[in-house]
Amino acid sequence: MTDVLLVGAPNSGKSALFNRLTGLKHKVANYPGITIDVGKGHLTSNHQVTLWDFPGTYSLNPVSAEEQVAIASLRSALQEPHDALVAMVLDATRLEKGLTYCLQVARDAAIAGKSFVVFLNMMDLIESDALELDVSGLSAALGVPVYPVSARTGAGVAEAERAIQQAGLVVAPWADTPDALITGTAQQIGERFAPAGDLLVRRQARLDQWLLDTLSGGLTFVIIMTLFFQAIFTWAAPLMDGVEALVIVIGSTVASVMPEGVVADFINDAIFGGLGAFLVFVPLVFILTLIIGALEDSGYLARAALICHRPLSVFGLSGKSFVPLLSGVACAIPAIYATRTLSSMQERLLTYVAIPLMPCSARLPVYALLIAILIPNETALGGLVGWQGLVMSGIYFFGITTALTVAALVGRMSNEDRAGQPFILELPAYRLPVARTIVKTALNRAGHFVQKAGSVIFAVTVVVWILGYFPNGGQDLSSSWLASIGRFIEPVFSPLGLDWRYGVAIIASFLAREVFVGTLGTIFGIETADKDPAPLADQITASGLTVASGAALVVFFTIALQCVSTVALLAREAKSARFAVALMAGYLVLAWLTAFGVYQLAGALLS
Amino acid sequence: MPSHPLWELAVGDSREIVSVGGDTADDAVQRLIDIGFREGQQVTCVMQPGFGAPRVYAIGGATYSLDKQTANIVRIAGEADR
Repeated sequence: MTDVLLVGAPNSGKSALFNRLTGLKHKVANYPGITIDVGKGHLTSNHQVTLWDFPGTYSLNPVSAEEQVAIASLRSALQEPHDALVAMVLDATRLEKGLTYCLQVARDAAIAGKSFVVFLNMMDLIESDALELDVSGLSAALGVPVYPVSARTGAGVAEAERAIQQAGLVVAPWADTPDALITGTAQQIGERFAPAGDLLVRRQARLDQWLLDTLSGGLTFVIIMTLFFQAIFTWAAPLMDGVEALVIVIGSTVASVMPEGVVADFINDAIFGGLGAFLVFVPLVFILTLIIGALEDSGYLARAALICHRPLSVFGLSGKSFVPLLSGVACAIPAIYATRTLSSMQERLLTYVAIPLMPCSARLPVYALLIAILIPNETALGGLVGWQGLVMSGIYFFGITTALTVAALVGRMSNEDRAGQPFILELPAYRLPVARTIVKTALNRAGHFVQKAGSVIFAVTVVVWILGYFPNGGQDLSSSWLASIGRFIEPVFSPLGLDWRYGVAIIASFLAREVFVGTLGTIFGIETADKDPAPLADQITASGLTVASGAALVVFFTIALQCVSTVALLAREAKSARFAVALMAGYLVLAWLTAFGVYQLAGALLS
Repeated sequence: MPSHPLWELAVGDSREIVSVGGDTADDAVQRLIDIGFREGQQVTCVMQPGFGAPRVYAIGGATYSLDKQTANIVRIAGEADR
């Protein structure tokens, strides 16, 4: 036997077991439908044996596009001519849930002549609660070997691993069972062998009474989400600054040993600038994955989805979109990764549509500059309310509202009965997260980002550097190729009352939105604009930027998807470069049109 | 025997399922049947979070949250409260 096909219902602990058996970095989570790709690995004890981790489904009757793909891939694997073993993972604490699917697959495997075993997972819970489960009786009823295991503690895994490599495995005796009989048989077996009593359900219900209650549950939700948000917004910041500083130090050290000139500049600014451009996101991706992993594993994420479902369903989104959207307020990169917890691609795409419009932290310096230009630094109500702060809140509110509205419109356009999508979510048992697994997943995710999105971000950074550096050796940005492009596209921005300088800053801000501030600083000759926007704001005001144009810029930045990292990652995660480019183009057009409307309106009101 | 939509089942109450989806057989019906909502099975309402949020039901040792329209695909027996 060279292949083991691992199958099971969502939340059966299948991926955790896969991790145990292969020692491979593979996503494991206590959340239904997390495994979307078919995982592949080798037994740690025998590298000749390949393990395939098929996406969890509740039966062989697909109800979504992903399940259709998953089931088709399982069926074609069963048809492969070589020897393979099908291993069904069942949750011992929720035995009845997986048995229909178990018998369906056992039958298909039998027809294909493949042997079949059952891994009875979560036996640690059965034992710790002194529940009774007749494993040999279950094995006799199913007609196949049943191995009691615990993917969490590792108990029984080595024995099961040895057993499946020995001869004497059997084909399940269900080849001739018609569909109509399978459900009934599964039900009978389930009723006979499932642990008696509802101890586990009652224990879970007690926690749910607290965590899903309107008052205590609402409060807990707000606390958890505040901590979550703090973690990605505040705690990751020092790490991000650290990475940035480190890259700069290494870059300038390397450049300092080289003769001054284009090569040194290229290495320092383009190569290390390009590296820094995506490495800076790595701590963010790592921390967010860590926290979401803990939330998933503990079982809380499913509850959070339940709590958020109703308000988000108004916008055609599911409750599961909440965490990705919240992450988007910090940064779209980890937010895009967070959508992996959504099981259907349609839900994910709609969330991808909303995420780039969430007011991410890279927009903050841009808003701070523009607000300093547009709004006097004065207070009202005896110093209680600052006008600048109030406008900032207004901009955030506008961004979030736009995100939800656009999602609602796109959802309605792409599927007319979007509102008719059923909400069926399994609530997994509460468990303590396993640190080893979530740290491994977070490291893996950070590595994925570097590999998959890093090269694109790096390349674009280098190209923009070249455009800004030549032909005059970085002496004067206003006579560079970048400035020529800015002048060439000036007609695009002149209807908004903006000249080429803003066009250049907008192009440069595709590297990261906050680059807008630094670029304008360079053009206006104020190099410290990144640290303190006030002198630059004064300079820009003096240069005659009108309030209407400033307001148009704010609106443009709230909508435009001008972030190469986001586009690169979207293309990867949506598995469609077309989708990512179309979204970028669409939001640029929408941003321009809205900005133009605001410019006209503000101009009319102020004149 | 009068049947009631599952959504009307009171917290803590259990009832027998009398039908799932009636004559329709769409994806939601299929999924409900797959996860154990079948004729003759006992279903318990575990939680009714406020503000019309999806409710929590226990069946076959597992718990699921269903929104109103999905819960109402399932009809239960007896005098459901409310």
